[in-house]
Amino acid sequence: MKGIVFVKFNEFIEELWGDEFWDTLLDEADLPSEGIYTTVETYEDEELFTLIGLVVEKKNISSKDAQFAFGKWVFKELYNAAPPGAHNFKDVFEFLHAVQDFIHVEVKKLNPDALLPEFKFLSESANTLSFHYESPRKLCYFCEGIVHGLAEHTEQKIEVSQSECEHEGDQRCVIEVVKI
Amino acid sequence: MTLSTDELKKRISVLERKASREKRARNTAENQLEKYSLDIYNANLSLKKALASSTQKQLELEYLGRTSSDIASEIPFNEMIANMVMLTGSFCSASYGFYIISKNGKEMTTKPNKTWCLETGWQENNKFKQLINKNLPLIESTIVESWVVSDVENGQTEQNECFNSIFYTNFALTGDRIGWLAFLSKQKDFEKEILSVLMTSREHFLSGIRRRLTDVRILKRNVQLQDSLNKLKKARQQLIQSEKMASLGQLAAGVAHEINNPIAFIHSNMEVLKDYLVDYKVLNAEIKASFDKNTVLEATMYDEICKKIDLSYIEEDSGDLLQSNIEGLDRVKEIVDNLKCFTHAGDEVLVEMSLSECITSALKIAGNMFKYEHKVVNKVEDNCPLIQGNTGQLQQVFVNLFVNAAHAMESSGQLTIDCNITKEGVLIHVTDTGSGMDETTLKQLFTPFFTTKPVGTGTGLGLSVSYAILEAHGAKITVDSKLNFGTTFNILFPVVS
Repeated sequence: MKGIVFVKFNEFIEELWGDEFWDTLLDEADLPSEGIYTTVETYEDEELFTLIGLVVEKKNISSKDAQFAFGKWVFKELYNAAPPGAHNFKDVFEFLHAVQDFIHVEVKKLNPDALLPEFKFLSESANTLSFHYESPRKLCYFCEGIVHGLAEHTEQKIEVSQSECEHEGDQRCVIEVVKI
Repeated sequence: MTLSTDELKKRISVLERKASREKRARNTAENQLEKYSLDIYNANLSLKKALASSTQKQLELEYLGRTSSDIASEIPFNEMIANMVMLTGSFCSASYGFYIISKNGKEMTTKPNKTWCLETGWQENNKFKQLINKNLPLIESTIVESWVVSDVENGQTEQNECFNSIFYTNFALTGDRIGWLAFLSKQKDFEKEILSVLMTSREHFLSGIRRRLTDVRILKRNVQLQDSLNKLKKARQQLIQSEKMASLGQLAAGVAHEINNPIAFIHSNMEVLKDYLVDYKVLNAEIKASFDKNTVLEATMYDEICKKIDLSYIEEDSGDLLQSNIEGLDRVKEIVDNLKCFTHAGDEVLVEMSLSECITSALKIAGNMFKYEHKVVNKVEDNCPLIQGNTGQLQQVFVNLFVNAAHAMESSGQLTIDCNITKEGVLIHVTDTGSGMDETTLKQLFTPFFTTKPVGTGTGLGLSVSYAILEAHGAKITVDSKLNFGTTFNILFPVVS
């Protein structure tokens, strides 16, 4: 996973619970990288899962909530770091299409080795958009959080749910976004 | 907010670890940045190399493409070679290029005597000819396998130009001549790749030369063939005409008989008319004597004289005799006209024509071959469809078939000419009730010089010539024959659409 996710997770935890908590997490996690994260490197996915696992354990929250919260928080951070041209979208649905068709393409140019999730759009009406979230990392809750962060940015009210979820025993994850 | 010493220590150690992580992270990022810079530098370097290589490849391809298209084109031989010199010289950045022809180890003078120059193109210039001739193995007259690159002896010229190398190749031309492409260059060595490209273009160039030389040979052969074909065509026409005249020879006796008959009765009629003239003279003399004596002619006397010579019969008979003579002469004229038409060596043009008329006139020519014991039945009607044909030639075919039929039916028999209109065309059957033919004869029927007739009767060319004529008409001929029963020739003519 790209280093920016780890750097942002570090900032997120420190903002919520302080740098001591982050220091404790690193100490207990005993990670191969020792928590020395830079945005230009790539790190094992497992490191993020270990860190999230420790947060869940220590703060007594669900993994779903932890991922969701991080997703919602990280949107604005990623948005600021997004490539030029990614800032012209004023609508959640429009932006989600742009993620697949434009932003991921641009990210690949800079990081050819980046493993990015795939959005396969299944149906769309004026107020409802349904897409298949496909990633071996299965971070669908994190994705839900990001969509919420996006809606905050576009100042739209939305509801996000999953009609199918791999964590619930389904074959795939289908995320539905409804404007309200 | 105040912190206890322990808390402070803990805080300090947390911050120290954080600072250490940040520092190490920065180092990692900086190293990564340096690595990126190096990668970019290397990428840039290899891009430059790739660009230089692709530019060179482009030049090579352009050179090969232009030489190939010149070689494959139909431009004149000398122009192709001039272009090859120019393109090769430019490609190798040679200073001067030459095309030389040698024979028996000596250069042949060619006009115009030109030299190619990198800066000014083709020009009248002999200043380096001596240098070239000194460095080319013209005298050895050996055809080299590829391009030869060698150092130039005394490369410094009076014009203060210094040439370091000469490269050349040669190839065989017609008439023991050798063509040489030679270049003077300031370069000392040539890259392997350049030489390999030159080799490729040389192979192509040589195949172009061979093709052009072959083309010239083919053209010459073609002219010879066309000439032979014309001669053959002429010979064929002569053969057809000769065969016609030969068959006329066979008809001659009958024709003579046909002409002789009317001549005989005309002769006899004339004898009688001559006697009648004598009678008229007697009548006239007596009438004159009567006038001299009595100055008048008595009616009784006139009647008496007339009765004496039987004048009324003479008058009646003279009319009949003259009419018979005219008819006899008409018959002779008709026979002569038919013969004239038959023997006329016309052109071979096919025009719309009537088969019925052609068969009728052929029958008139060959008719005298059939005697009183023979019966000739012509069932071809006047409304038979028209065909594309040559009347003279087809008449010859039918006369030939009728003469053959007459020969096959020596004493008696029947010749029937019939016509069937089919989908494919007009089918003419010529049937005789003669001797027929066995398998061996049938097989050789259309072979030239094959004949079953005694020496002097047939040329053995009649049916083969007829076959050739029918073939030229797009007609098909087949034969059904049964020994001792007779023969039928079936000829299918395509109809005018």
